Amino acid sequence: MFFDKILSHDKKEQRVIENIREHIKLLCTACNTFRLGIGKNNRKLINDVAELERKGDSIRREIISNIYNGAFLPYLRPDLCKFVEIVDRVFDLIEDAAFLYLSMEIPEHANREENKASFFMGIPEPVKNECGRVTFLNVRICEMLLITFEAMLKGEDLSEKTLAIRIYEKKIDDIKFNILEEIRKIDIDNFWEGKIVSDFIAAITRVSDIIEDASDHIQIISVSMR
Amino acid sequence: MKVQEFMTTNIKFVDAEESAYDAIEKMVDRRIRSLVVRFNKKNIEHGVITARDVVFKVLAKGLDPKKIRVSDIASKPILSIEQSMSIKEAAALMERSNIARIFVEKSKNIIGVISMVDLMDASLIMRARGENVF
Repeated sequence: MFFDKILSHDKKEQRVIENIREHIKLLCTACNTFRLGIGKNNRKLINDVAELERKGDSIRREIISNIYNGAFLPYLRPDLCKFVEIVDRVFDLIEDAAFLYLSMEIPEHANREENKASFFMGIPEPVKNECGRVTFLNVRICEMLLITFEAMLKGEDLSEKTLAIRIYEKKIDDIKFNILEEIRKIDIDNFWEGKIVSDFIAAITRVSDIIEDASDHIQIISVSMR
Repeated sequence: MKVQEFMTTNIKFVDAEESAYDAIEKMVDRRIRSLVVRFNKKNIEHGVITARDVVFKVLAKGLDPKKIRVSDIASKPILSIEQSMSIKEAAALMERSNIARIFVEKSKNIIGVISMVDLMDASLIMRARGENVF
């Protein structure tokens, strides 16, 4: 294993690596839960995202604490911590998006009674499909981050993996521009209604930007270990 | 990998009765290289007009694009596939038909397009994921 070259003989490093792996896997789960929650308009699944974010926070704290308790050579520690912090920012974004989604209630002038049973919240219809595609691609890009991390551990060439992440990021950017073009045509009744929709779109489309930063950081860690 | 995962949904339409100039304006404004052509009001029949059609069938011949109708230079019918088809199947069809883009439909409605660049992107991602490309 690539990391063997810089590992000390105790198990602190191994624990950190396992925790980082678990952290990224949890992120994939959070993104997928969010995607399913939106797809099925399921409030429970959306609420689960916050629970997963809390678990992610706890893993992040454990990783940082193990690193500063002596895992890895000192010159590597800041980069590893930075990587974990970047991944944690994605958890925060997904959690924000989940809360914003729950805030998208049917406006007061609509027939709430009629809508309550089947659909008491939701994304504006003209951009619903595209938002769904973004959440799907967010799951894919997170999986790609995990693949990139595993490749780094094996000392493999990362260029094709990071390219794949950049392709996903570009694709999501293209969809974002389509969404922004459509969203301008939607009538908004009040400031908060518009702000919630706008913030929600900003949150789901920013995930890929941060994952791209995280993959760049994996590249930096990989280079610094050579 | 399914085509719906990687298709581009930014597709724009033009009516067959409109002029080639109208089509050019739409392509320039939207920065796209093809438009789906509607041949009747029910939108059942579709064709396609590309930047290539405009260049070689109108501009290169010194014709006035305002006097040429879209229907005169559009290709019809378009090749389309279901959104649940795989990227591999789409690539095979594009290669067999020697075309640069293929439209994606859902219940007979055009919902997206897969271009050569989309195919390249999808193939690179499949490689990075360790999946068989073609």
